[in-house]
Amino acid sequence: MDFDLPAEDDPRRLEVRAWLQANPKPGYALLFDQGYTVPHWPRPWGLGANPELQLIIDDELARAGIRAPHHKNPVPINNCGQSLLRHGTPEQQERFLKPALACEEVWCMLFSEPSAGSDVGALRTTARREGDHYVIRGQKMWTSLADKAQIGVLVARTDPSAPKHAGLSQFLVDMKSPGITIRPIADMSGESGEYNEVFFDDVIVPADRLLGKEGDGWKLSMQQLQTERVALSRPGAIWGSGPSARELVDGLVAAGRFKNPLVRDEAVGLWIEGEILRLLALRSLSDRMNARESGPEGAVRKMVAAPHGQRVLDLAKRSQGVAGLVKNRDVLPMTQAERGPFSNWDHAFWWSPAVTLGVGTQEVLKNVVAERVLGLPREKDPTRHTPFNQIGKAQPTQKEAA
Amino acid sequence: MNFSLSEDHTVLRDAAADFLRDQVDLAPLLVPGADAQQAPYDALWAKLCELGWPAMAVPEAHGGLGMSEIDVAIVLRECGRTLAPTPLLGTLAGTWALLAAGSPEQQTLWLPQVAEAGLRMALATAPASGDAGAADADVMATLHADGSYRLSGSSHFVIDAPGAQLLVVAAMLDGAKRLFLVQGEADGIETEWLAWRDITRQVAHVHVKDAVGDLMPGDWDSTWPTLRNRLHLALAAESAGGLQAVLDDTTAYVKERVAFGRPIGAYQSIKHGLADMLAQTECTQTAVLYAAWAQSQDERTATLASAMAQAYASEAYRDATHRSIQMFGAIGFTWEMKNHLYFKRARANAEWLGSAAEQRELIARTLETAHATPH
Ligand SMILES: Cc1cc2nc3c(=O)[nH]c(=O)nc-3n(C[C@H](O)[C@H](O)[C@H](O)COP(=O)(O)OP(=O)(O)OC[C@H]3O[C@@H](n4cnc5c(N)ncnc54)[C@H](O)[C@@H]3O)c2cc1C
Repeated sequence: MDFDLPAEDDPRRLEVRAWLQANPKPGYALLFDQGYTVPHWPRPWGLGANPELQLIIDDELARAGIRAPHHKNPVPINNCGQSLLRHGTPEQQERFLKPALACEEVWCMLFSEPSAGSDVGALRTTARREGDHYVIRGQKMWTSLADKAQIGVLVARTDPSAPKHAGLSQFLVDMKSPGITIRPIADMSGESGEYNEVFFDDVIVPADRLLGKEGDGWKLSMQQLQTERVALSRPGAIWGSGPSARELVDGLVAAGRFKNPLVRDEAVGLWIEGEILRLLALRSLSDRMNARESGPEGAVRKMVAAPHGQRVLDLAKRSQGVAGLVKNRDVLPMTQAERGPFSNWDHAFWWSPAVTLGVGTQEVLKNVVAERVLGLPREKDPTRHTPFNQIGKAQPTQKEAA
Repeated sequence: MNFSLSEDHTVLRDAAADFLRDQVDLAPLLVPGADAQQAPYDALWAKLCELGWPAMAVPEAHGGLGMSEIDVAIVLRECGRTLAPTPLLGTLAGTWALLAAGSPEQQTLWLPQVAEAGLRMALATAPASGDAGAADADVMATLHADGSYRLSGSSHFVIDAPGAQLLVVAAMLDGAKRLFLVQGEADGIETEWLAWRDITRQVAHVHVKDAVGDLMPGDWDSTWPTLRNRLHLALAAESAGGLQAVLDDTTAYVKERVAFGRPIGAYQSIKHGLADMLAQTECTQTAVLYAAWAQSQDERTATLASAMAQAYASEAYRDATHRSIQMFGAIGFTWEMKNHLYFKRARANAEWLGSAAEQRELIARTLETAHATPH
């Protein structure tokens, strides 16, 4: 056993570093050509890299101050792109993959609806087949990047007479199609445009934009939500990035606030948890490299990481005292030192409640862990086997039931 | 970088687990009113000796197996999982003290006896406050005219003291805390059994009166950090195993126990509690493996990693054992069930080397020092 990361003079590291020196501001197209966007994908898209090489590449990009492509275009790189590799037609792969991975076309993920969040299978948006195209009608919610995206991965109901999960299909939709209306939703962080409502009024989508087969929608969606590419070695607090507990401790020490015994104990508690999260990531990485079946640490890590990140930001915010409540602290009569080390964490704090919601809530994640890993009895969904268009009809009204 | 258990590790783990599953019998302790004297210490130790476990931490040069900290942590995890009542912890602690502070002659004399004959040891360093790492001791050492050292006083909360054949005793000599070897059968030694709540473990105060002690050359300030790091790892490894057992037992129970027409494991508060317990178990185990590895690195890494493992394990084990009793319902609160043995071991492991907050303070100081010295 050996917990040392690939050394500073690891030849693979030196190779990446040399390339970055020769191409100091590479741009996403060049990064993609070099295989650094999705190194873990097979050629020609990636390098067929093992997790350790992937870690090295991530590390070196971060060290060179390059914003990783998956921040720019998370949907195809983290979640949906691999579906095209596995289930897309050659024409679809040809048309969509390169522009997505080179970040020329941004994608968004059209899953959630007003009546279907955790229960994605309850969605009502329909896709009706008419000859060589489908007609889409319905409303999506919380769609991150919808306003910036050229392509949307849409889940819609193609067969309302099938049970809720069986009648769904996925499409690659042109977000500029006539009939699509996008409205920003302002979130509590005060930054509008983080996500959007998207309305579909009889939007025409050509039949060759169907991903996989009709009825595959649920299966594809579940795969996509699970294939999230994790930031491998960072002790990072929020979705694998964002400030870490190490940085929190450094900041508190630098600001002289680490002497306060209450802050100190809490901060070290978070430091410990951050270290363990980093080690859990290395453990899954190592298991994958040794072709071992990986244990439950992947799901566990996500479950621990989200509230951990919130607590890191919370302590940082509390350490700012009352001044931390002012949005524009530049107006306060404070020196830079008094302002403290966490000034640029402000937005992350006000945004952090989202971390236990997005990509599935903490509660739903715990259900999944308890059921899949520990084998506890599954949650009962009384509508699971009912044809979707019969749900609600055969059931007693609330009054009758009472 | 390689974080996975090797083939050898898993073979060792499985062998230890199989052996302990067959041999550990907690039934005598599940009789109401049972105490640690009923724990089958001697019988189990004899069997462990046949397997050569006392030789684990003894270097090959002294007839031992010279196993790594990772191997030792793997075995201790299995011991913690089964709550195996044995003097293994005391003997390991004594062995580590001999290695850290003993002279070559002392090592050559005693280590082969540990390795080959299963000589039982215990580490007695705490004053009445119970602080094993304290700068002082309640035992005084004096140099006699014949050149021998004589010890008088008391050492407290000594794990595995009853039956120990060789004790490492901390005593004050000329104002400094030092370590001495004292034979268990020597004149002037009295072992006062404690009604230690964790009855899977035998603990005593040791009173010495003019007993002969053999001074170890290693000084306290440089010996204790090494020793403390290993002890932190040992307790955390035991706790990791205990957590796994509690998780497994509780998971099995909630699949069977039915209430309101469903297995209670179908209810979400139970599910979420077990998901948390699983997370804590995985986190503890990960921290333990890292701490074990860290001991082969520099002292700072070892200190941070070991204190981190022990601090995290203490709180996770406490939470899990408490939750487990709750999930079993009232049956889990009875003496006849194993739940309380784990609950009590969790408490004992969390206190014996000081609280989790104290380990966090140790980490805080280590981080501050690192901050003060630019790297
Ligand atoms: C920042 C952000 C970005 C997002 N981006 C996107 C995006 O790009 N595309 C997209 O499609 N969606 C996106 N979402 C939506 C996100 O996936 C949903 O918010 C999430 O799945 C939860 O659904 P909901 O908000 O409807 O809450 P609900 O499902 O209504 O849940 C409400 C509460 O009920 C609980 N609950 C629900 N079911 C259960 C259960 N079975 N057991 C226990 N508790 C339960 C939940 O945990 C929660 O506490 C985003 C959300 C956020 C916050």
